[in-house]
Amino acid sequence: MPQYAALIWSTDLEPSDPRFAAMMPGYDAFGHEAEAVIRGGAALYQNATATTVRVTGGKGGEVVTTDGPYADTKEALTGFYLVEAADLDEAVGWAAKIPAAYDGSGCVEVRPIIEFPG
Amino acid sequence: MTSPVDAVERAVREEFPRILATLVRVTGDVGLAEDSVQEAVVRALTTWPRDGVPDEPRAWLTTVARRCAVDRIRRESQRDGKETEAVWLNDSDPAPPPDSVVRDDLLRLVFTCCHPTLAPESQVALSLRTLCGLSTAEVARALLVPEATAAKRLTRAKQKISAAHIPYRVPPDAELPDRLAGVLATVYLVFNEGYAPSSGDAAVRQDLVDEAIRLGRLLLDLMPDEPGVIGLLALMLLLDCRRGARVAADGSAVRLQDQVKSLWDPAMAAEGVQLVADGVRRTPDRADPYVVQAAIAGCHALAPSFAETDWNAVIDWYDVLLAVRDSPSARLGRAAAIAERDGAAAGLAEVDAIAGLDHHAWWHGARAELLHRLGREDESSSERNEADRLGLNTRALASLDASLAASPR
Repeated sequence: MPQYAALIWSTDLEPSDPRFAAMMPGYDAFGHEAEAVIRGGAALYQNATATTVRVTGGKGGEVVTTDGPYADTKEALTGFYLVEAADLDEAVGWAAKIPAAYDGSGCVEVRPIIEFPG
Repeated sequence: MTSPVDAVERAVREEFPRILATLVRVTGDVGLAEDSVQEAVVRALTTWPRDGVPDEPRAWLTTVARRCAVDRIRRESQRDGKETEAVWLNDSDPAPPPDSVVRDDLLRLVFTCCHPTLAPESQVALSLRTLCGLSTAEVARALLVPEATAAKRLTRAKQKISAAHIPYRVPPDAELPDRLAGVLATVYLVFNEGYAPSSGDAAVRQDLVDEAIRLGRLLLDLMPDEPGVIGLLALMLLLDCRRGARVAADGSAVRLQDQVKSLWDPAMAAEGVQLVADGVRRTPDRADPYVVQAAIAGCHALAPSFAETDWNAVIDWYDVLLAVRDSPSARLGRAAAIAERDGAAAGLAEVDAIAGLDHHAWWHGARAELLHRLGREDESSSERNEADRLGLNTRALASLDASLAASPR
């Protein structure tokens, strides 16, 4: 059965932000409803906690880190689910039930997962 | 007398979408199916002119394409060091599927090519390639893009269908109206790009119009009871029946009121009007927007001359259209009909009543024309310049200037 990553692009919030707590029930509800198809996932700390890593001069070279995410977009990658679905229609159907898709905080990007043989 | 090669090319072109649809079902992969059918086509083009076209070209091509698919899967699995998974696709040459199965395959392919998760331009390119059987080079010419661009667009779309598992099926009843609307919009997009090109120099691109009508006929064959399908084909026929009168010898567009009615194609018009009647009969409760637009075009087709158009009927249909699908262009069309029935002043009042179009070039163009008919030349010419400033396209501007140069009616 194909798997899809449902990447959540939404308002970048600290977990201590009251709005963060306010949106949790929606995600809990989705988690219950989609329990049978969710294969993994995580919520992410806000952009400001990110570290971008690059190695110059090839493998084993100098590790260069920068504070923050590489891309500076209006909406941040705030979490993701890994879901199993028969086809894209079904995957889109699940994605549409993730709060970010309907609550005005952002959107959900559905990406097929590459399955490596063996 | 057509050459054998022409006859072969025509036969292949006719059969291509049906064979492809079958191959997509048996292989489950649009890209593989297309490559295999293409290989079979190449073999046909080399052997048929020599040996003659077989009695059942579709069966011949389907069998050869199947074998090509099996070969490709075997080669692929050998390369990956895996056992062939193509056993189920064995080459014992099963009988070609009956017509009813081919129709179902083709219908599924229509909904795959016009899946809403594909960008509109990808849907158009895919439809031209797979449902009209155009080659990649022909798709490129149709879309006025370099061949490499068309090839890339097609490849990406096929990769997405395969990687993201865009389903190959007719949508369930609950989703069918929305999905069908998407299919119709794609076909209408192809038609409009031919009927009133947004780019290029030609006033009409008949090749695209013909492909859109071919798609419309295919859809009607597959879904004979859908009012939208009936309405869209009717609309396209009733607009395209003007083909002989719409373009002047110098290549410029001829306005509806200046067209020579005897140059309209009566057979196309008659077929369109019949389809409208059928579409209206099937939608007693809620009108279908395509059927209604076709009905408006039908009023023009039935009028002996522009002056004798039944404007009451035209305006009534516009009222129905506004009730089911309100749009600025429908309001403008209604205003133009009011101007014909009740005079330019009444028409101008209607145009002015359409709110929020101040930044649209064609709204100013319509005002320029009506003001000219009212003899208010200063205002007319400033509206004409405003339309130009807002980017009214060259052909529309030339047509407007021709109207403004003529003495007011």
